[in-house]
Amino acid sequence: MTATISPLGRFARIKNRSLGALSRTSVGRAFSSWIGKIAGGFIILLVLTAIFAPWIAPFDYAAQDLMNGNQPPGWPHLLGTDEFGRDVLSRVIYGARTSLSVSATAIAISITAGMTLGAAAGYFGGLFERVVMTIVDLTWSFPDILIALIFVAIIGPGLTSTTFAIAIAYLAQFTRLTRAQIVRLKRETFIEATINLGAKPHHILFRHLLPNAIAPVIVVGMLAIGDGIVLEATLGFFGLGAQPPTPSWGAMMSSGTAQLFLSPWVIIFPGVVVAVTVIAVNLFGDELISALDIRERLRGS
Amino acid sequence: MSNLLEVRNLSKQFSAPGGPFRKARSMHAVNGVSFDLPKGRVIGVVGESGCGKSTLARLILRLVEPSGGAVTFAGEDLLAKSASQMRALRAEMQMVFQDPYSSIDPRYTVARAVIEPFEVQGRKPDGSAKAEVEKLLEMVGLDAGLASSFPHQISGGQKQRVGIARALALRPSLLVLDEPTASLDVSVQAQIIGLLEQLRDDLGLTYLFISHDLSLVKYFCDEILVMYLGRVVEALPETNAPARHPYTKTLMDSTFEPDPKLRRLIAPLEGEVPSPFDLPPGCAFAERCEYATDICRVETPALNETGGHPVACHNPL
Repeated sequence: MTATISPLGRFARIKNRSLGALSRTSVGRAFSSWIGKIAGGFIILLVLTAIFAPWIAPFDYAAQDLMNGNQPPGWPHLLGTDEFGRDVLSRVIYGARTSLSVSATAIAISITAGMTLGAAAGYFGGLFERVVMTIVDLTWSFPDILIALIFVAIIGPGLTSTTFAIAIAYLAQFTRLTRAQIVRLKRETFIEATINLGAKPHHILFRHLLPNAIAPVIVVGMLAIGDGIVLEATLGFFGLGAQPPTPSWGAMMSSGTAQLFLSPWVIIFPGVVVAVTVIAVNLFGDELISALDIRERLRGS
Repeated sequence: MSNLLEVRNLSKQFSAPGGPFRKARSMHAVNGVSFDLPKGRVIGVVGESGCGKSTLARLILRLVEPSGGAVTFAGEDLLAKSASQMRALRAEMQMVFQDPYSSIDPRYTVARAVIEPFEVQGRKPDGSAKAEVEKLLEMVGLDAGLASSFPHQISGGQKQRVGIARALALRPSLLVLDEPTASLDVSVQAQIIGLLEQLRDDLGLTYLFISHDLSLVKYFCDEILVMYLGRVVEALPETNAPARHPYTKTLMDSTFEPDPKLRRLIAPLEGEVPSPFDLPPGCAFAERCEYATDICRVETPALNETGGHPVACHNPL
């Protein structure tokens, strides 16, 4: 085989390998369309903004300047100021930190717990599966806001209760998705073949079932981060999330409602950022679904 | 010659529990199957789909837990083994599966799939892992260059060869072949059958060959068991033995005959296979049998050796 490869063919293969290194990964393929480039680019930009907020924000997010309250967008406050004279742009930038970290942490907790429960339920089946799925479905029957209120009642308002509320709100989705994948994969011949080689249950679960089930879960997790941002903003709007002076997009919009006609920029800019972020996350998630070719598998659960 | 495998009265009953709106039902997928498989021989199991032949294969390997009976492999009572003893014993008895397209993990390369048996059993191959992969691929007639391919990059026949290489990795003595060629092209079928014959001679393997294709079984096997609805209806001690059971005769008559002078008029079977959930009393084949008499509809015939090889029929041919 190697003898027949011409020098040119070998060169083409090597070139292909280095160029294809990124595009061969599914995330790389999601970037190949222009929608994927714009949406993915925006998400990367937002994450970088959140990480480097102290260097990017022109003002301190908590610095009050009561003499310059309710300033319209202009210089030096590009997006204007709120009723206390705080810079809206700086607060939106710091708000990205709150929103992204709360949503991402919550979804990470949700994925971890959901995959563990779903995989165990799908793999062991029987009474255990029924008990787990009933409890998980029960969490789905409560509105997200109600779950959040329960947590606020237990541990008081703040980012911790918001995080747990979001995590529980999406738990059912990840549990059901993982379970559906595991149940489908368990019937595949390669699982029976591996059992027949003498494999222990943990080998089947961790080397075959979970690696094959993870792709759709990651994509749904990505989309859920977008929903989590909306839920975090909603809870913040009701005053159940980040407590002042910690900036969060939802809380900013809430405080802006009082001056809606006096200084609409206080409520408009955080709202636009939430909307654009969620749209970007969803568009990129759709590209990822196409790149991974898992639309069918997502429909099944 | 000693028996590598002894199967006694092996049965499997599946039951569907009843509920408020349906009756509890149960069916015998495999009913009282017994046979001996001597070392180095090839026994074929034939029957139409749904007759329990694939379940029989899984019962023997304990991939499905039997409801009753006994399986003795190399003198060891398999059904008495604990889960961990059974896992170790599986190295000795491997299976080649019907569907090569789903028998390899899509995320595994050929090399990883072929070396996985060692990893699972906690063993090291004699040489390096790479050398072992090359040796196994060569054994099944695959180019070593395919080692880094993924299953979706190779053909069905190549996948089935990888499946055989995986089964052979631990050097088993018994290989259960569950319709290994049923989902392949005819030309590829012949290659796989040729490979299996060569491996049997080279490695001294013993095969249990499951198929619905009687002409293939006649070509490949030393002895034939004919199954109908979970029971063995006839045990042919050699492939050219004359059929004594009317069902076997129908199967034989319906095989393709290349010589037009030898072709006979095929009388197709009348009627449907009865539902395994509510089998009629007596012989399960009686409704479709032209030789059936009153006793056939009352009493289930046992496998009987009087007047020739074993057959389960009240009116053997």
